[in-house]
Amino acid sequence: MLPPNGAWGAPPPVPPRRPDPAADVTTGIFRSHWLIIPLQVLGVTLVFVALVGPILSQFGLAWVIVLAFAVVFGSLAYALPAWWYGSFGLREDHLVVHSGLFLRSSREIPLSRLQAVDVVRPLLMQVFGLAELRVELAGGDGSAIRLRCLRWRVAERLRVAVLAHAAGLPGRAPEAPEWPFYRLPFLLLLGALTFRVPVLLSFVLLLLLLTAFVVFLEPGALAGAVPLVLGLLRYYWGPLARYTDFYASSSSDGLRLRYGMFQRRMQTVPPGRVQAVRVVEPLLWRALGVARVEATVAGYAGARQADSTALLPVAPRGRAFALVNEVFPESEAALVPLVDNRGPLPHAVGVDERLFVSVRGFLCRVTEIVPVERMQALRLSAGPIAQLRRRVTVDVDIPPGPVSARATDRNAGEGRRLLDALVEYGRRARVPSAGTERWATRATMHGDSVTSRNEGEKTEGPNGDTPES
Amino acid sequence: MDAAFAAPGDTDWTRVPVALAWYRRLVTGACCLAVGAAGALFLFLSGRPGAAVTWAVAVLVAAVVLWLLAGRFQRSWGYAEESAELYLTYGVLMRQLVVVPYGRMQVVDVTADLLEQALGIATVRVRTAASTADTRVVGLPLADAVQLRDRLAARSETFSTGL
Repeated sequence: MLPPNGAWGAPPPVPPRRPDPAADVTTGIFRSHWLIIPLQVLGVTLVFVALVGPILSQFGLAWVIVLAFAVVFGSLAYALPAWWYGSFGLREDHLVVHSGLFLRSSREIPLSRLQAVDVVRPLLMQVFGLAELRVELAGGDGSAIRLRCLRWRVAERLRVAVLAHAAGLPGRAPEAPEWPFYRLPFLLLLGALTFRVPVLLSFVLLLLLLTAFVVFLEPGALAGAVPLVLGLLRYYWGPLARYTDFYASSSSDGLRLRYGMFQRRMQTVPPGRVQAVRVVEPLLWRALGVARVEATVAGYAGARQADSTALLPVAPRGRAFALVNEVFPESEAALVPLVDNRGPLPHAVGVDERLFVSVRGFLCRVTEIVPVERMQALRLSAGPIAQLRRRVTVDVDIPPGPVSARATDRNAGEGRRLLDALVEYGRRARVPSAGTERWATRATMHGDSVTSRNEGEKTEGPNGDTPES
Repeated sequence: MDAAFAAPGDTDWTRVPVALAWYRRLVTGACCLAVGAAGALFLFLSGRPGAAVTWAVAVLVAAVVLWLLAGRFQRSWGYAEESAELYLTYGVLMRQLVVVPYGRMQVVDVTADLLEQALGIATVRVRTAASTADTRVVGLPLADAVQLRDRLAARSETFSTGL
């Protein structure tokens, strides 16, 4: 009917293509990918067959098949509406999540309060091109928002939008550029994980047991090997698979970590969310000059704490301290003057205007660093024996995590001076504008506050009253 | 040692009333009575009256010691409100001094159990984001406790700097 194209010059307008729903995640309502339904049904059916199947097979195979079909349709009847009614979307700078079928729940999360954002891709989800988005909040173990089975591109865009809102920018703002910070070579990871006293001892013991088994054909030797293999799986293979291909980069949105062999993870820790950091140097790693950096982030509580706290699994010592300076800007952890406690257990602490630093450990050296404005409470304590010896302990309380900062076994007067110095520095550092919400729009305000604070310090006069002097 | 646990600056500790000592005496007295009576009865019924008397005397001595220590315990409690922090001291065997900045307080509440209500005292409890620090001011008269809570809550709002 229509004349051929080009006969009259202008081609007929192309019908507008349906817009890609993933292009703009800041409006509209989203739900998980439909693949979550067959995955859930498959999971429930497999669990049913594995648990109840052996009992049912006594009645005949037909029963197993019939009941498995019943379970398939039953779980389908639940999973389908649950998928349809479970939706989420961004409303201004709030994330609204609806979930549940019988017990409907609707959560509205102010994104300025988020503590960390992770995109996790387990192996099965990578096959289907899916990902899970986790928004960590400070409320503890049950407070993380987990959006499962999203298309990977949607998850990535949503992560960018969530972080933009948290930074106080509009949701369509492009992702902040990043600068490479550290890429962990696989050989260094392998070597460092192997070159630890417990791992080397376990390997030697395992070899001895296997040799004993081969030479004497004694099955008891294998029984002894089982706990060793389990331990090596947990503490050697686990970190090796988790931190393969580790890449850390820094941006104005905070630290970005990408790692994992079978489970790819992309972790974003916004600025100011790190409550404390510790640098761990086991005995043999000190010979290699490498260290591990772990952090306390208020969102990573409970079970997720163990596999989310490492900021650098293995890194040269210099890079480790460079990261500490990156996380706590305007400070220099290595320059804080340390004072030893001259006790039986070496434990040196130091404090300056920004940081509290403690170095302890005889074999495995642990350096713990807490910014003074992050201290929740300070405690000076002395037990009955310590009272007789006139010694005290100063505890710096921070949210739960791998870091526990304290100064043990100090002279009474020295401990009190340390406490007073911490209180004084903390009071100056805790200005109201030093909050961490909406960091992008705060940048100018923060600059003002820094200058005014410096002026305030000048008017207050010199203060060299450190407990060490 | 006392200098290390002294009040900040030139302020002095605000001490809590003697009612706290009586609270402590009543609780420890009731516990000692229950433990002593039950143990002595059990030993007496199992046919060892000598051991029963020894047990009763030992518990009595413990009760007297705790009774005398209750006064020291009550006198060890004290708090001071600085311009930006709450200072708190307590403990006889385990002496403690706790400093909580107002800006770090997440929840401030007043509680009073039945015995505390009968004695007219209450406990002000302060929670921070750190789970290790359980900071509280015990044995305050109810009116003072409510006033302290209101002051702390207002200041935690003024000094708030996020987590």
